[in-house]
Amino acid sequence: MTAAPARLAAVSARPQVGARGSALILLAPALGLCTIFIFIPAVLAIAGSFFTFGITSRVWEPAGLSNYARAFADPVFWIALRNNLIIVLGSIVLQVGFGTILAAILDRGLPRYATVFRTVIFAPMVVSAVAVALIWQVILDPNVGALNAIIKAVGLTPPTLGWLGDPAISIWVILMIACWQYTGFMMVLILAGLQGIPKELYEAASLDGARGLTAFRHITLPSIRNVLIVAVLITTIGGFKVFDLIYATTQGGPANATQVLGTYIYLQAFNLGNMGYANAISVILLGIAVVLGWVQLRVSRRA
Amino acid sequence: MHRSLTRGGAVAALGVALTLGAALPAVAQEEVTLRMWGLVNPNYPEFIEQAAEAFKATHPNVTIQFEETPNEAFKTAIQVALVGSDPPDVFFNWAGEDSARLVRDGLVLDLTDLAMAEGQFGTTLSDAWLSTLTVDGRIYGAPTDAVTKYFYYNTRFFDEHGLTPPTSFGGLLQLCRDIRAIDPEIVPLPLGNSERWKLNHYITILNERVMGNDALRADYALTASDDQLFTDPGYVTAWGKVLELQQAGCFQDAPNATSPEVSRTMFSSEVSPMIFCGSWCMSIFDGEGFTDYALFRFPPVEDGASDGNSNMVVPQGLQVSAKTAHPEEAVAWLTHLTSPEMAKLFAQLRGALPSDPSLLGELTEATPQFLWTANDMASLATQYNVIDVELEASVANAYLDSGVEILNGTMTPEQAMESIRAAALAAKAAQN
Repeated sequence: MTAAPARLAAVSARPQVGARGSALILLAPALGLCTIFIFIPAVLAIAGSFFTFGITSRVWEPAGLSNYARAFADPVFWIALRNNLIIVLGSIVLQVGFGTILAAILDRGLPRYATVFRTVIFAPMVVSAVAVALIWQVILDPNVGALNAIIKAVGLTPPTLGWLGDPAISIWVILMIACWQYTGFMMVLILAGLQGIPKELYEAASLDGARGLTAFRHITLPSIRNVLIVAVLITTIGGFKVFDLIYATTQGGPANATQVLGTYIYLQAFNLGNMGYANAISVILLGIAVVLGWVQLRVSRRA
Repeated sequence: MHRSLTRGGAVAALGVALTLGAALPAVAQEEVTLRMWGLVNPNYPEFIEQAAEAFKATHPNVTIQFEETPNEAFKTAIQVALVGSDPPDVFFNWAGEDSARLVRDGLVLDLTDLAMAEGQFGTTLSDAWLSTLTVDGRIYGAPTDAVTKYFYYNTRFFDEHGLTPPTSFGGLLQLCRDIRAIDPEIVPLPLGNSERWKLNHYITILNERVMGNDALRADYALTASDDQLFTDPGYVTAWGKVLELQQAGCFQDAPNATSPEVSRTMFSSEVSPMIFCGSWCMSIFDGEGFTDYALFRFPPVEDGASDGNSNMVVPQGLQVSAKTAHPEEAVAWLTHLTSPEMAKLFAQLRGALPSDPSLLGELTEATPQFLWTANDMASLATQYNVIDVELEASVANAYLDSGVEILNGTMTPEQAMESIRAAALAAKAAQN
């Protein structure tokens, strides 16, 4: 009588072991690649942050926590962090905000040519950041750029130091360029969420007298809450990782006014030869990313 | 019979093989590919292609594989490549701190013994040129050429308005004012400082014009005492001269937002009548079809320590990776590239001054501007390197940032020197 359940247990256990083995085999390549390209470099970066060395140095001199202390005392580090925050918060407001509005217009308010508008608005997303930077450099050039020509033509005065040369406005100009490039992506993401909302909800709400902005507030926004959370997190992580657009546009200038952590790490590592210090800033950036990832998990689960 | 025939055939075959082997050494030579990295420059790939073809005559087993990279990207790429497992065998570098640092870090091959062998470049180039890539008496590269800076001016515009090249800094300021008086919309001397290094060339020369070359050496090498380091009031005066240029209307409104390419185009498209540009700009302007220009040297500053018979000259050359598997072939290639015939070809294609100028007189297609430059460079009493190559990296960076801030009006010359001195003191402390 006892042999039958035991046999059953053994039979049911066999596929589990097989499934676990298959899972490990299937995961192994990804795990291997992650180990080589993410975990090992991350460990090396953390280790390197406790040393002083240049990219071509033969000797690593122990530095303790001095690279971290240097970061917290370095005004340019704080400028870079502030600029990252400006880009993150500005991108959330502009990219996710405009993306949501555009998606709502395309979903319900534009009966014709929606595909054309969607393609046009999404198009900058498929252009590389370096190409975007070059396009905008030409547009914003103070001598031959189209923007200054238009501004002068309507009787206004463009900024004397140039859009990308004035430290007071250059980071905001970069933010606008990023917004121009990525709002289309946010729009497509949110549009996908909008198109998953059952039409019956709107019909039912309509019968109750909820239309337009009321329906948008009480039906649309709650229905795409998860999509918006993902959009905000993608924008936040992208805002902290930003490098190529700024490097190709201003290289962090004028005089560090558009420096972000990514470009500052590059400057310290490859131009100034402070690889240990660059590693320390990288570890701080990694810490920020880990915290953001944790928040992402928490918020996703709660949602 | 059969055996004796076979044996006889084998002996004959051996004899033929030995004879062929003696007559055709290339058959036994290993095929070698030399990888070479350089900067993106007009006509340089054509020069390398023709030089490699000529090199085949003496080294038929050697193939040259050339890769070019833009200026800023090259500085990073070469460092990463040299510490990696597959660096180029031969690579471009600027003489000065950039090359010396790689030597200190053991990434560059000591070429002294190979280069000083009979007929190799160490025995053909002048000591002055060799010294540019020599560290502690050892040769770490073959200097190929040098670049410098001049004011270029539009001869047609100058003739039309009765303008002449200035002979003093004050004259340069007046020239800017005169051009603005002709038409306030004309930018006399466009400055494309979006990459920061353009103004560094001005301040490199202004420092020398104000204080003299000798007064700068101890500060630039960070060997001056802490209480003296970068304290000469001449540094503030030199920055003040930049402001004078700005106030005289020489530059356009937004130099920090203008790229070097746009500023060059403003000159070659005759929007602006002058530009301060490298000797490499000649081939760019010529390539764009603009040839109505002449050059003049940066004039001396009134009451300055320099008489003006000097200029910023940046020697550059080729180094060999310490990891190369083909040092003999690499040195033979460098010797070939710096030979009088190749130097002549280099000058012809690039419009630049080569390290062996012995055949420059035979150039049939040299432009008058190139010949003027070659003569002027040969007549210089003093030459000095550019700040961002010569100074320690963090001090050079402080200079670059200060230049941007001074042009933007967000920093005074005094504040700039405080910032540079602080960077220099920190760099000196780190070195000790």
